[in-house]
Amino acid sequence: MNKELEHSFVELLEKHQNIVHKVCRLYTNNYDAHNDLFQEITIQLWKAYPKFRGDAKFSTWMYRVGLNTAITLYRKSKRSIKTQDFEGVEFKIKAEDYDDTEEQQLKVLYKAVHQLNDIEKALVFLYLEDKDYREISETLGISEVNARVKMNRIKTKLRTILNP
Amino acid sequence: MDELDILKKDWNKGNDKYPKLSYNEIYKMILKKSSSIVKWIFIISILEFAFWLAISFSFKGTSYSGKLEALDINHILIPFSIISYGVLLYFFYLFYKNYKNISATDSSKTLMENIIKTRKTVKYYVIFNLVSLVIGAVIGALYGFNHNPEFSNKLDLATANGEVFKFYAVIIIVIILVLAVVIGVLLLFYWLIYGILLKRLNRNYKELKKLDA
Repeated sequence: MNKELEHSFVELLEKHQNIVHKVCRLYTNNYDAHNDLFQEITIQLWKAYPKFRGDAKFSTWMYRVGLNTAITLYRKSKRSIKTQDFEGVEFKIKAEDYDDTEEQQLKVLYKAVHQLNDIEKALVFLYLEDKDYREISETLGISEVNARVKMNRIKTKLRTILNP
Repeated sequence: MDELDILKKDWNKGNDKYPKLSYNEIYKMILKKSSSIVKWIFIISILEFAFWLAISFSFKGTSYSGKLEALDINHILIPFSIISYGVLLYFFYLFYKNYKNISATDSSKTLMENIIKTRKTVKYYVIFNLVSLVIGAVIGALYGFNHNPEFSNKLDLATANGEVFKFYAVIIIVIILVLAVVIGVLLLFYWLIYGILLKRLNRNYKELKKLDA
């Protein structure tokens, strides 16, 4: 890989790094795990960069590689598993946690989203990023109709988590 | 306004709450090595190919191989070796081709399918080797029964003592037990390694397939 390619890639990633941070925020829950995943996504983006033709937006291309790394390629490191693995932990949100104040409400909402499975999180991520169902379906490789149906189910599931 | 719309408002306004990595910090990251499952699958698969190749090489020059040579069964062994290496090359080509198709820029479903396909190529190769092992053991035993003078002497002795049935039964049981142990250990090994490595991928692939069912 030549220096010019390295430079253009790092510059673009520096500019759009929030997309990667947002993926890490949904899929991890502590600083070490966040950094581990960020690192792996960066490597995967870099590996795929020579084939990036610029016919898609760099940010759109990043969504795909970022989510694919989080859902499929990333192997949790030992230090991440110790404190970050949600999969085996079922924590119910108590009704009193659901406060009216905005900040508290958001905290509870993020906590609820963390209880979703990897695929559901991916749909939520793309929804939060304001992607339409066509793009969601193309990114995940499912039909547009099914992406829509699943999104509605996720909303219902979130409501159930929040109001058990 | 539903829950996700409340979240969306916050999601898009708080861009300054994330860490801001510098150019140099990102640059250092691209120089590091990946620890993705694809890299591990590649390493383990190469080790598997090397393992079976090493087995076939280490077998040569052993006392057992000397005994086989004494039996003069080159007309069986040579075609058998040619077929084995041919199959190895074929599987390795398929494996490499599938591995090269894995791309993080594909859709999630396609990416998962390509990883599973690559993995399956090596799995089929291992199955081929295990089946060859069983067939080889059976052919070897049958050939030994008919052509090995050492075996004929022992058989004559057993016949004289009226223990022919016992003699055959012991040999067959020993062969079955050895094969069962070898296959059992290998299967346990695979189940452990790939069970752990691909647990998440399989779960997510199932979920995606369920969505499109």
